[in-house]
Amino acid sequence: MEKVGKMIMHIGLLYIIFQFGNWIQRTLHLFIPGSVIGMIVLFLLLSTKLVRVSWIEEGANYIVANLAFFFIPVTVGIIEYYDLFLGKGSLLILIVLVSTMLVMGGSGFFSQWLMRRKEWKHE
Amino acid sequence: MSEFLIASLAICGTFAIYHIALWVHRTWNHSLTAPVLVATTLVIVVLITFRIPYETYMVGGKWINELLGPAVVALAYPLYRYKDTLKKVAAPIVAGTLLGGIIGISTGLLLAQWAGFEATIVYSLTPKSVTTPVAMAVTESIGGVMPLAAIFVMIAGIGGVLMHHYVFRLFQVDHYLGRGVGMGSASHAIGTATSMEVNQLEGAVSTISMVMSALVVSIIAPSLVQLMM
Repeated sequence: MEKVGKMIMHIGLLYIIFQFGNWIQRTLHLFIPGSVIGMIVLFLLLSTKLVRVSWIEEGANYIVANLAFFFIPVTVGIIEYYDLFLGKGSLLILIVLVSTMLVMGGSGFFSQWLMRRKEWKHE
Repeated sequence: MSEFLIASLAICGTFAIYHIALWVHRTWNHSLTAPVLVATTLVIVVLITFRIPYETYMVGGKWINELLGPAVVALAYPLYRYKDTLKKVAAPIVAGTLLGGIIGISTGLLLAQWAGFEATIVYSLTPKSVTTPVAMAVTESIGGVMPLAAIFVMIAGIGGVLMHHYVFRLFQVDHYLGRGVGMGSASHAIGTATSMEVNQLEGAVSTISMVMSALVVSIIAPSLVQLMM
């Protein structure tokens, strides 16, 4: 029970920081989403020790390990567009998949290559 | 049925299905059983079987959506936890993500143009590798259709999780750094969620890539589009 209470407090704090991020986004008319601004804010708060790790640790660990759960309603939304999968639209899906593959492989390969080159130099 | 009952059913149902998906993934441990894929499929099957419209499901689903914001904020914790390690590998992450942004925009543009799609569709497809709100803003600024852009973002996310195992094998990416950069650059937060399931360090790399990629794409997309169209 104590653990659940702690978790709710932690997630509550994360929610307040999220709303603060939204407020910054609206006030400064930024294109970066409020949640990402909130992430940067929390990182700064943790780095400056204004927020202690123990204030968010359990909640953040739980959320981060179960991040996929929070995406389910969004990804289920794809059924609203099932007609896109028919006809010429299917070609668009193929294009997105091919391009995604190239981004994933290209960026991953390049950063890994740079990393290994650096590791090799140190030895 | 009252709104409250529908909402509770949708939330508890999604939570139960998510736990079934976790169990499926633990049992089979295959890249195609990633919890986000299995859970999404199961929810869709339930909605179709019982003829539940998406709108009705979202009476509860919107509450889970509401927590997506604080969930993204929570990603700061692994970043903080691994900040010393991440500082040392910042250069390869930035360089890889930058390349990823350029590949994503240019191949999207070229392929869609080559297939003969009209400009508004091509523009909507351009920012697909970045998180939805940023992709929609970029699409708007270059002249695409926003809801269409959101669908492409989702396909890049789900598709990336679906293919990542094969892509990494094809490109011989096996280092946590390369995997994290690949997932974050290509499949934004949905990819990051999958990286976090591997470990928090790969997830933290993916988080940085996702945020960096949003910045890179929103800055270079308008000029690359002008250059190539």
